[in-house]
Amino acid sequence: MKPEVDQILGLSSGQLMSQIAPLLPNSFAVGGASLLGIMMTLAAQEYERGADIRAAENADMRSLFRDAAAQIADAELKAMVSTAAATQDRSLKISALNAENIELRRVLIRLQAYAEMKGLRDIERRIWDVLKASADRRILRLG
Amino acid sequence: MSDELVSRLETYLAKKLDQPALRVSDLARIPGGASRETYRFRARYGAGKGEIERALILRRDPPASLIETDRTTEFRAYQAFHRLGLPVPEPVALELDGGALERPFFVMEEITGCEVASILNPDPYGAHREKIGRQFWDVLGQIAKADVKTIGLSDFEGARDPNEAWHHEVARWEKVIDEDEREPQPIARAAIRWLKRNPPPQAAKIAVVHGDYRTGNFLFNGAGEIRAILDWEMAHLGDPLEDLGWALDPLWAHGDPSRPAGLIARADAIRTWEAASGLKADPKALAWWEVFASLKGLAIWISAACEYAEGRNTDPVNAFSGWYCLAFHNKVLAERLAS
Repeated sequence: MKPEVDQILGLSSGQLMSQIAPLLPNSFAVGGASLLGIMMTLAAQEYERGADIRAAENADMRSLFRDAAAQIADAELKAMVSTAAATQDRSLKISALNAENIELRRVLIRLQAYAEMKGLRDIERRIWDVLKASADRRILRLG
Repeated sequence: MSDELVSRLETYLAKKLDQPALRVSDLARIPGGASRETYRFRARYGAGKGEIERALILRRDPPASLIETDRTTEFRAYQAFHRLGLPVPEPVALELDGGALERPFFVMEEITGCEVASILNPDPYGAHREKIGRQFWDVLGQIAKADVKTIGLSDFEGARDPNEAWHHEVARWEKVIDEDEREPQPIARAAIRWLKRNPPPQAAKIAVVHGDYRTGNFLFNGAGEIRAILDWEMAHLGDPLEDLGWALDPLWAHGDPSRPAGLIARADAIRTWEAASGLKADPKALAWWEVFASLKGLAIWISAACEYAEGRNTDPVNAFSGWYCLAFHNKVLAERLAS
């Protein structure tokens, strides 16, 4: 599909900020238009990477859960972690990936609190590796 | 701008200031954050040589706001610190009854001839960076130094016990996350657990905490003078290190965390604050409040995203906060807590 969505958003953002915003009558309107332009730039980034970062995050969490399950003594949590580890992304639609991501994050929060309580340092380190990688992937660039 | 709003404002101020012939002109909405609608206008009254023209600001509640804040708190903070001689606009009128302008509002003096730094500008202060930096951290120290009873704010919301200040604030922002998160936030949850497991030393005192003291929330003029500290809407009682930690947060550093707020070097900033406040910034306590600052940021951005996603306030600043700022603070906290 040419032009791609991110190109349209990027170029439209540039036109909005450089050609339309300066013509607006007051600072509130100029500020609002400029911020909309910035949001279009960020949306362009998210269009290109959105599915990729969610799929990668989901894969990281499932891998972590597979490795961690054996160290969990709590039967309910162990079952929850094992079940989550066995799930799959069945669609690359953002809405479907988000739905999986939300369920996996819920399990991750439970697992992290458990690992902290039980002093399971290896699991804690693995979780922070996953969270740091997630935070890095989701950073947005303004330039 | 709406003729009806001009007319309503004229009617209200004519009565409030006892100036029946008062006229409002040049009403224009200006940027002023998502938690209040902000307008500048001129009010003229008197006649002949006695005619007075006042540059004023109207801050009116929006239909829904970024964070539910109390306009009485904001107004009283302006009053108290204006009286104390800090660079704070003079408040003129507060109206809690929505009748006059449909929603609660307050009016204050406009500080003219100034600019405000955008957090997106990599060098907003130019040659005045050092001069503004010394004032910025000095004024924050003076806020910390002020005695809450002497300035009449001892009934403000917040902690009264220096041992409880940290807990009070963690509970406040955890509640915001509980209520507003639309998806699970593992880094925020880990931060809350960490903050509770590792409480800071007792606060040196209970002070007025501005609540949002940072670059972008003050006005400075072309001579490099800070003329107005703004946006007191999240003011409360607490540990003065809370403000210091927030002002030092890397989100406000204009891309260079070694110069917090885009101003002077971090060590100089802390020394300036200590000299003005008469307090010591205990490194362990400050480190805790810096983690807290990023968690508080997350809570605000989560709330902003919720407002936007649920259609209550579609100001694009809420979408920006929910995307850019949230991602920024998640990364800051992940790096701090993982180490």
